[in-house]
Amino acid sequence: MSMLLSMQNLSKAFGGLEVVRELSFDVPERTATALIGPNGAGKTTVFNLISGVYPVTSGSIRFRGSDIVNLPSRYRIKRGIARSFQNIRLIPRLSVIDNLLIGQHVTLTRPFDVMRPFRLVRDHEWICAAKAELSAFGLGQYADEPVGLLPYGIRKRVDLIRATLSSPSVLMLDEPAAGLNASETRELHSHLDTLKERGVTLLVIEHDMQFIRSVCEKIVVLNFGCKIAEGSFDQVRTDEQVREAYLGAEQAA
Amino acid sequence: MSGYLTGLIVLLALNTIAAYGVYLPMAAGQLNLGIAGFMAIGAYASAYLTNVCGWPALAAIAAGGGTAAILAFVVAMPILRTQGIYLSLATFALGQVICAILLNLEVVGGAAGYPVSTHIEASTVVAVTVVVVSLVYLMSTTRVPIYLAAVKNDPLVADLLGLNVKALGVAALTAGATIAGVGGALYAHYFNYVEAQYFGVMLSTYTVLYVLLGGTQSVLGPLVGAAIFTIVPEALRSSSQWRYAIFALFIILFMALRPQGLITRGLTRRRAQAAVQGGTTAS
Amino acid sequence: MIAQQIVNGLMLGGVYVMVAVAFTLAIGVLNFLNFSIPGIFMVAGMVSWAALKSGQHWLLAFGFALMASAVVGVAVYFLTYRPSSDSDPEVPLVSSLGFLVLLENLIVLWLGSDQQSYPAIIADFNFRAGSIIVGGAQFLSLALSLAFVIALSLSLRFTNLGRQVRAIAESRRTASILGVNVGSVVPRVFVLSALFTGAGGILFAISYLQVSSSMGESIGFKGISAMIIGGMGNIWGAVAGGLLIGLVEILSTQFLGADFVNIGVYGLLLALLIIKPEGLFGMAVAREKL
Repeated sequence: MSMLLSMQNLSKAFGGLEVVRELSFDVPERTATALIGPNGAGKTTVFNLISGVYPVTSGSIRFRGSDIVNLPSRYRIKRGIARSFQNIRLIPRLSVIDNLLIGQHVTLTRPFDVMRPFRLVRDHEWICAAKAELSAFGLGQYADEPVGLLPYGIRKRVDLIRATLSSPSVLMLDEPAAGLNASETRELHSHLDTLKERGVTLLVIEHDMQFIRSVCEKIVVLNFGCKIAEGSFDQVRTDEQVREAYLGAEQAA
Repeated sequence: MSGYLTGLIVLLALNTIAAYGVYLPMAAGQLNLGIAGFMAIGAYASAYLTNVCGWPALAAIAAGGGTAAILAFVVAMPILRTQGIYLSLATFALGQVICAILLNLEVVGGAAGYPVSTHIEASTVVAVTVVVVSLVYLMSTTRVPIYLAAVKNDPLVADLLGLNVKALGVAALTAGATIAGVGGALYAHYFNYVEAQYFGVMLSTYTVLYVLLGGTQSVLGPLVGAAIFTIVPEALRSSSQWRYAIFALFIILFMALRPQGLITRGLTRRRAQAAVQGGTTAS
Repeated sequence: MIAQQIVNGLMLGGVYVMVAVAFTLAIGVLNFLNFSIPGIFMVAGMVSWAALKSGQHWLLAFGFALMASAVVGVAVYFLTYRPSSDSDPEVPLVSSLGFLVLLENLIVLWLGSDQQSYPAIIADFNFRAGSIIVGGAQFLSLALSLAFVIALSLSLRFTNLGRQVRAIAESRRTASILGVNVGSVVPRVFVLSALFTGAGGILFAISYLQVSSSMGESIGFKGISAMIIGGMGNIWGAVAGGLLIGLVEILSTQFLGADFVNIGVYGLLLALLIIKPEGLFGMAVAREKL
């Protein structure tokens, strides 16, 4: 199995504070990998480094074999790296469709597509494509709703769909199940299953262990910016260091 | 058509153009408190071209817009490094500097003002305004307004979604300045006189205020704001200070009670939905 | 010669300091760019002039002016700041601009738009320090400005109210959780800010003996520049900025001509905003966290 994404000795320091230290792990293609660890372990920072929000202090991030640490953030989605956000970050005043249209941006092919007066055309292909994707995930009826008025669970999935509209190779999900009730979590699960069927590689930050167990084949555990374990759910669950990190030294028995 | 009515229509046209000059950068999250500076550039540049170089009026007006565009483009990159309040202040400072420089430029009259020899008719002013508004409307049917909203709302995420945030910001600033420049050029050639003092911070302030009154969520907002600013005081027929005072009071109340302005997205969408569904509203 | 100009510049700077500090209070504590401040500056100058013209004693005249300032400050709080704590940050900024327009036009309606000469309260005396002539009124004005700022700084540091203000400046939510009555402290900051700029208007009037309905625009906006140049949210930065602007203004008048003053002052502001937006003494703006 080829490694789609590969961190090699990745380090990030803010001033004197080392948030990620010499981190190395791989994300195999067409699978779901979980990135877990106590709060403050550096998980979202890793996502930010992969997205290019922060420059790397040292180390490399290889995507399909080539190092992307010097690639400006705005080009990374075009390469195939997309993400969803912990606090959603959709544009509340715009409708769902309009938010999705932004997500379509990297798929535009012709030079002046941005200037194309598509709204003058009834049922323009862009709108149809966005609506189709929305319907594929069962959210078709929300197309014209302003995002700000929608319930949290729906917005989370719209955020996901926006990310998938760019046809990414790898989709990074930052706590996708946070704040969802049981039925919403089931919907999310099937949403992710659909993505996996399409061949999208997933990298997931999550705290919900049941969720991770049922979705992800591989788990990477971080603590204080370092990797302390890596493997399948059962391997990681019984790892001494992991238990210590989560439960505390005395409890690890 | 009476001279009074003509004058009113010209004023409405000029205010409308100015409004769209502010609206475009505002859609990208830029509060341009120096917009009057770009109007001044357009006015003076076009006036110089018709006075001294003998250009025909329309060409000079276009060139006035072009000059404002060039200046905006040049300063956009450094200015857009600032954000939020700092950007507003930087545009304010820029407007003041432009005004101050023009005030001292003897070749265009300096503090005494600059008479403009070529006159354009009211119909020309209105025609150009219609063209500008049509272009802005056309732009509103593209992806651009959505992208600008993304840049305004969440530039970080916009960047991660592949948008060139810097380019969009520069484009918005430059487009707004160009429109303002054309407006200034029209003003110069209709009233046949410009003085730098007119293009001060208060002019920028009034323009920004009535754009916000109309609302920035819809492309109709600036037009409505300009209309209110131009026509309502005429209906009141009071001295100009009273008009401005009442207008200011209006703004204060609006910002307190309905900051999104008069014309909002919801309003226009509900109308459109109603039209599509033949009269019945969904929600 | 230069030394004289420098002294003149510093004394003019004293007025800018008052306005800059007023802005700093608003920005530093309330994160609010309060454009009504130049308007209040003007109102204080004009109201005190009107009172003096109608024969009032200067104490009363200044009292009226300061009271008017405070009233406007409170009005701005209620109509501009309070309603908009949760919407776009440009909303209160724009609303405060509305106040500026309102104040200017109301004053013109009441007192006309002409520049008025201000009665000399302080007997016209100068004193010499070597070859430098220092205008008495202007010197007093500078001294008072600095005194007020020192008083402000000390009270922020040592009084209870001062501590609460600083807590709010640091973090509103935390301050609120810790029991600071934000709802009563914030209006007081508005009043304090208004009094400072009002006092600045009065000091300007007694030093330079002229007031007009547009003095807010010309002086007030330079006060904003001073604040930014010194560093937003930093009181002593505002002092440094104010004095610097005063210097720049006088020196550029001397060497480049009065016409170039605005270019100098606002050009400096623009350059600084681009190169070092946090001002000379401010702290760098924090980066957004994802």
